[in-house]
Amino acid sequence: MTQAALTVQDLHLSFLTDEGALPVLRGLSYTLSPGKILAVVGESGSGKTVHALSILNLLPPNARVDQGKILYQGKNLLSMKSSALRRVRGRKIAMIFQDPQASLNPVLTVGEQLIETLRAHKRISKKTARKQAAELLTKVGIEEAEKRLEEYPFQFSGGMCQRVMIAMALALSPDVLIADEPTTALDVTIQAQILRLIKELQQQSGMAAIFITHNLAVAAQVADEVLVLYAGQCMEQAPASRLFSHPLHPYTQGLLGSLASVERKEERLPAITGNPPRPGEILTGCPFAPRCSHALKKCFETCPPLYEKDGCKVRCFLQEGK
Amino acid sequence: MTAALVIENLHKTYVRKAWLGKRVEKPVLRGIDLTLEEGKVLGLVGESGCGKSTLCKVILGIEPITSGTVQVAGVNINGLSTAKWRDLRRKMQVVYQDPYASLDPRFTVRQLVSEPLDIHKLYMDKSARENYLRELLNSVQLDVAFLDRYPHEFSGGQRQRIAIARALALEPQILIADEPVSALDVSVQAQILNLLKDIAQKRQLSMLFVTHDFAVARFLCDDIAVMHQGKIVEYAPAEELFAQPRQAYTQKLLSAVPTVPRGAL
Repeated sequence: MTQAALTVQDLHLSFLTDEGALPVLRGLSYTLSPGKILAVVGESGSGKTVHALSILNLLPPNARVDQGKILYQGKNLLSMKSSALRRVRGRKIAMIFQDPQASLNPVLTVGEQLIETLRAHKRISKKTARKQAAELLTKVGIEEAEKRLEEYPFQFSGGMCQRVMIAMALALSPDVLIADEPTTALDVTIQAQILRLIKELQQQSGMAAIFITHNLAVAAQVADEVLVLYAGQCMEQAPASRLFSHPLHPYTQGLLGSLASVERKEERLPAITGNPPRPGEILTGCPFAPRCSHALKKCFETCPPLYEKDGCKVRCFLQEGK
Repeated sequence: MTAALVIENLHKTYVRKAWLGKRVEKPVLRGIDLTLEEGKVLGLVGESGCGKSTLCKVILGIEPITSGTVQVAGVNINGLSTAKWRDLRRKMQVVYQDPYASLDPRFTVRQLVSEPLDIHKLYMDKSARENYLRELLNSVQLDVAFLDRYPHEFSGGQRQRIAIARALALEPQILIADEPVSALDVSVQAQILNLLKDIAQKRQLSMLFVTHDFAVARFLCDDIAVMHQGKIVEYAPAEELFAQPRQAYTQKLLSAVPTVPRGAL
């Protein structure tokens, strides 16, 4: 078996607030295989972004990791010294964020920002860095790269800014790319282009990627494997083709069923009743039980474990013994 | 058939005074012709920046018209007096995108839903008001016990139900819904879409439903108008548009919509 690109083990994380510690992640574990794209799908408050931030220790000051490990090349990123972590960030594990216009520095040209990234990690002359920066922009599909290096982020559209962010993330050929809702702020046509670009570049370079999204359809476009997160726990993890054709968890089934389709007109949408739990709400039993139409008595009492079968994981008592 | 809303050759240009008093003009709506038939749901679909929210603002009288006409329930809204607007707002109401921003955090649900009734002096009798409020909350499937709570105590989906109840309080004929589900959690969107569909049918509402999501538009709308750079590029009955999009722009948009492969579902 090849070594995993990244392993998350039993990650527990909470936010410290005036009302005490609110648990956000409750024992998240997964393995990212090299060269694969794992989509982490969840609603707001499910902990998907927080988990991504914890990988590179970019958490806000009131977040606390209670338990767990994040292993990269055998080392635990959570206990790494900040100087050592700085050599991992960007060079080995890179990240792109949701709002590209907000993530770029408005007072520096795009070229300056790209060159800064390159020169922070590599010993190269400004001239070489400049040449590489132009090549990167060309690679992400920006025309007249030389000229555009002189421009400021406000002169770029949202989609173009996201291309710059992708160029910056790929500048140092990382092993792992974390993309946190990279297309949520973009229009559908631009979204389709960016998804294609990410997939293409990922296949060329053979890096692994964690793709965070709330949009199942987007996950279906890019992912090899999908992890469904609900209230800080993995509800289901399976290869993408399997998850979309045979969802096992009632939550996944409900989510897929409730999506309006562009392919046909539906009279009614089979909606999931109720609301997702608030972050930090104390939950005994399965977090989805109050909204689940298949819930048994024991679902409210104890939280089901993750049942594993044929490379799929499901947190549901209905899968017990199957 | 009469029309709830008739828009003819509508132009809207934002003007900004730049440095040294130079006028910078930005045309946003460039000749819109659009009709919302009575009792129908018209979907307005377009990408960000195409002018769909500006169109809503002009219809609601929040932004003045640059040129052209807008008729709401037979009334031309250009230069309408405040008193006439007040009358018109009994017939036309709005639901906005973000229920975290559109509800005053210092108002209880009771105050939020009562405010339009107070302004128009409706149901002023105490017990009649109480009964009506209960009825309203029931119609959006909210528990009447919520009346004395504040918006921060509710989830996004519940807040949007409160916003809908507030919009329905005056029993309007026309509802303008500006992306009412795009700020909501995925698992809650379907509930609100079903609710809007039921309400539109039950109350014979004419609805202008603004969205960037074709799937949502197909579920809810009778007709669809596709907007691009301040113009309506295609207008057709929904099923016709999906079966055979005529304009290249519509085809491009539709082909870009990501879909979930639906095997066993």
